[in-house]
Amino acid sequence: MTTRDIVLAALFTAIIIVLGFIPPVPIPLLPVPITAQSMGVMLAGCIIGAKRGAAAYALLVVLVAVGLPVLSGGRGGINVLMGPTGGYIFGWIIGAFVTGFLAEKLVREGQSAAKQMAGFFIASIVGGIGVVYLCGMPWLSVAAGTPFDKVVLGSLAFIPGDLVKAAIATLAARAVLVGYPLLPARA
Amino acid sequence: MLTSLHVEGRSLLHRIPVKPKLVGLMAFGLALYLVHQPLALTLALIATGSLYLSTGVGLSEGFRRLKPVLFTIAFLAVVNLLLLSPQEALVITLRLVAILLLAAAVTASTSIADFMAAVTDLARPLERLGLLKAADLGLALGLVLRFVPEIAGRYEALKEAHAARGIPVKLSRMLGPLIISTLKDADRIAEAIDARGIRGQ
Repeated sequence: MTTRDIVLAALFTAIIIVLGFIPPVPIPLLPVPITAQSMGVMLAGCIIGAKRGAAAYALLVVLVAVGLPVLSGGRGGINVLMGPTGGYIFGWIIGAFVTGFLAEKLVREGQSAAKQMAGFFIASIVGGIGVVYLCGMPWLSVAAGTPFDKVVLGSLAFIPGDLVKAAIATLAARAVLVGYPLLPARA
Repeated sequence: MLTSLHVEGRSLLHRIPVKPKLVGLMAFGLALYLVHQPLALTLALIATGSLYLSTGVGLSEGFRRLKPVLFTIAFLAVVNLLLLSPQEALVITLRLVAILLLAAAVTASTSIADFMAAVTDLARPLERLGLLKAADLGLALGLVLRFVPEIAGRYEALKEAHAARGIPVKLSRMLGPLIISTLKDADRIAEAIDARGIRGQ
């Protein structure tokens, strides 16, 4: 990693932490309020790419582990990582990598706006929702003893909110791509 | 803004070095999954709860810190009560709270500097594999802590700029400018780090 890669990852970690300070926004008709922080996985992957996005989240997990309240709602400490929802937090690292990998493959400068947005949206859904849930749900099921199919069923309540997040992340990622492109191209 | 969850003190837990504490926590967490008796788990919970309080965190602050996670555990307990037998639901809930309290006790009794030393040590094998440099980890974490207040200030300024122009503050409108204005500094910061030879190349 070059010094610039390290700086970009660290700055993004700081942005994710600041997003955690913003109070959650309730969305009409949705059961779960939207926290700005959980959009970070999609944003990190789509904006700074797979390697740096995953590094940004690895840094966040280290900060949580050493006992800083960097997660939304002032959560932090190993107790959060070892708790029933710890799988989601580790899943963020892999999720950011997969989002970035897909975004690097699908999105290129000079494509039409619609194509770029579609690429970011697909990457956000697969990496930011699919991968994160795939890591979080089995962990939750094992730690809390809740049967896996019921965990899957319960997670469905979060999906509409996650789709809204993916849409917002897509808009933001496209804005950054136009204003200050950072996403590495992958052939 | 980012106050550590470490609590100053001289308790037994404070005096144990960080690595045995972490190993003990992992072992305890795994061992509890082999225990299925509510009575034994209640005793474990009382023990870890007293350890947590012995760090000097205080009852109200101690509870405030764990509230979000306790809420999750309580929610899961209700779900489990509907799906599993009451005995199983009780066992699982006691186990989760007991582990939570011990993990919180380790967090409260260990300073960031001690944790960082342990993290850097854990990064050494990765360094040997050529995956990362342990020194870079310290640099990156320093950068994060340095820039959180600055980015928070930038967010407030953006909010005021929107309000001053009569535009309602919406997250979707703020993200683009916030991220671009922050990441634009990356080149300048990277040059400053390299100019000072901080990474020793």
